[in-house]
Amino acid sequence: MLDIQNVTKSYRAYQALRGVTLQAHSGEVFGLLGPNGAGKTTLLRILATLLEPTSGTAVVGGHDIHHDPEGVRRAVGVVNGGMGLPARLTGREVLRSFATLYGLTRAQADARITELDDRLELGRTLDVRAGEYSTGMKQKVVIARAVIHDPPVLILDEAASGLDIFARRTLLDFVHATRAPGRLTVYSTHVMSEVEEVCDRVAILHEGQLLNVSSIPDVLARTGASSLERAFFALVRPDAVRPEASHAR
Amino acid sequence: MPAERPSRRGGLRPGMVWQIAARDLLTTLRDRRTLSATILMPLILIPLFTLGLPLLMGNLIGGQQQARQQLGVVGTLPDGLRRALTTDEKLPDGTVTRAGVELVPVTDPVRAVQDGTVEAALQAAGPLPARAGDGTGTLRLYAKLGNLRAQTGAYSKVQDVVQQYNRQLTTARLKNLGLGADTLEPVRIQPVDASSAQEQRSGQLAFLIPMLMMQFILAGALATALDATAGEKERGTLESLLVAPVRRAEVVTGKLIATATTALTSAAFSVMGFLLSGLIMRAYQARQPGGVATFTQAMGGQLTLSAGGVITLLGVAATTALLISSLIILIGIYARTFKEAQTYVAPINLLVVLPAVMLQFADFLKTGPALYAAPLIGGMLAILDTVKGGGEPAHAALAMLVNLAGTLLFSLLALRSFSREEVIFRN
Repeated sequence: MLDIQNVTKSYRAYQALRGVTLQAHSGEVFGLLGPNGAGKTTLLRILATLLEPTSGTAVVGGHDIHHDPEGVRRAVGVVNGGMGLPARLTGREVLRSFATLYGLTRAQADARITELDDRLELGRTLDVRAGEYSTGMKQKVVIARAVIHDPPVLILDEAASGLDIFARRTLLDFVHATRAPGRLTVYSTHVMSEVEEVCDRVAILHEGQLLNVSSIPDVLARTGASSLERAFFALVRPDAVRPEASHAR
Repeated sequence: MPAERPSRRGGLRPGMVWQIAARDLLTTLRDRRTLSATILMPLILIPLFTLGLPLLMGNLIGGQQQARQQLGVVGTLPDGLRRALTTDEKLPDGTVTRAGVELVPVTDPVRAVQDGTVEAALQAAGPLPARAGDGTGTLRLYAKLGNLRAQTGAYSKVQDVVQQYNRQLTTARLKNLGLGADTLEPVRIQPVDASSAQEQRSGQLAFLIPMLMMQFILAGALATALDATAGEKERGTLESLLVAPVRRAEVVTGKLIATATTALTSAAFSVMGFLLSGLIMRAYQARQPGGVATFTQAMGGQLTLSAGGVITLLGVAATTALLISSLIILIGIYARTFKEAQTYVAPINLLVVLPAVMLQFADFLKTGPALYAAPLIGGMLAILDTVKGGGEPAHAALAMLVNLAGTLLFSLLALRSFSREEVIFRN
């Protein structure tokens, strides 16, 4: 469902992505792990057709980002930590407006909103203006907006940042529930525990380069680490990692 | 900047454009500050400017005529002149149209005026004529000549009275010589106003109409455009819009329609403000049936438009709203935040205000086609022509065409900005 081939991205002299190639499949929750500045957001914006790669290509949900960007945008739903809502519109108005942009009729939109209300526990949030939302309420509506058209590919970029424990749990449960045939969720974060909990496979990105793509048990086995965090450090800074045994002592 | 992908292009889908516009309009409509700036302010400020200020000035100046000021006198004045200065001027029904002054003896006229003891002072440089054939004399009149209150009060009354006194003595002298009063004025000028009825009605303050309309178009456009561009960026809602299957051209067009609609609404309410002024004026005139024309003129005129005039006014206002909206959207999208955008657009105010203020000297302009081809200025002149009932339809059409051409140019530049990564993700 996702095929990225040798994607690079440069901003003048700065190379944000250096030949990234990876594939993710139907039924997966695919983790994208990396520190701040690793190139995660740039890569996800390229997949959402917001940015143009300097070279390389990608096919998302069966649509080529160069030749069918509108098809890509119909196939994906995107949530990132910086996304907001128009403060003077209610959650229901926002969702209806986006449903129309995705070609849903009013009846289809309302049925989908009811379904998302159950899954994300939107409740009274739907009829309150977004300016009055807490961070958790806002993020729930942002997620609902991203999936209003029931996209086969869901891209979550630091979607849990700033959420309290309850909102974060709702989000992670929602991500778990997206694991289904014909669907792919790309979950980007720098929080290891989130990846460990929800992702089937993980790609580790550092300074624009892909260091590893494998399942979590495989990456642990490859690095000989006991946790994903240690495995991450072993891949990113192999010289700086102390042996686990000496650390244990 | 990478070239825009071919597949991102394509025609405009009206449904998509309307969705973008409706979303921005709904957001604007729910903002109380915007509503007050676009609806309430024109309804309050325009009657205030067109009625309140002239009325206030009229009352202040008229009040000076009714008040009895103190006039300092050094020495003595001829009895006839003293009587003329102190006597009230009245209508046959007894209404005082100009009160006389109270004469106060002073020794130092300059000091008396400066310390405010009297509003003006008189000093005869020598003996003054008391009857026809007495020769001539000089009367020094002391007043603060830069002071409007003094000029419209005692100073003005003394000048009027002395003029009448001179005429009285001259007429008497001419009569003694067997000559009529019109000997001094063998040819008289009788002014006839050749302006059209609408020009006469529009008054001296007609230039206020395009000025205020432009101001409110700008205020209305700013309210929506900045929120729909820099505001969306700042809130993080623009990115969510751009990942939807909507074309950039549809986003720009939708935002342009929303912005121009708010600007036009504001302009429409400014016209309503003028109509409200007219209604208030009529009600006032109904209570004062005498001197209607004088009153209307003093109030800055009134807005009366033919059907063609209304269409021209609407056409120029609509195209100007589009021009200003597209310019602000173009500027707004560059800004990272709403506040930054406000800084960028501040000079636009000058672009509107300065030519609008210059409109009061529009009678001195040679209004050839070139002037109507100047963006904004041409529109303002066309509105002024319409209000005054003159102007060439071709001039108004040219101003509208220039506005539309400008809108197209700014919209294309805005579209280019909406397609540039470094603009959209500048923050």
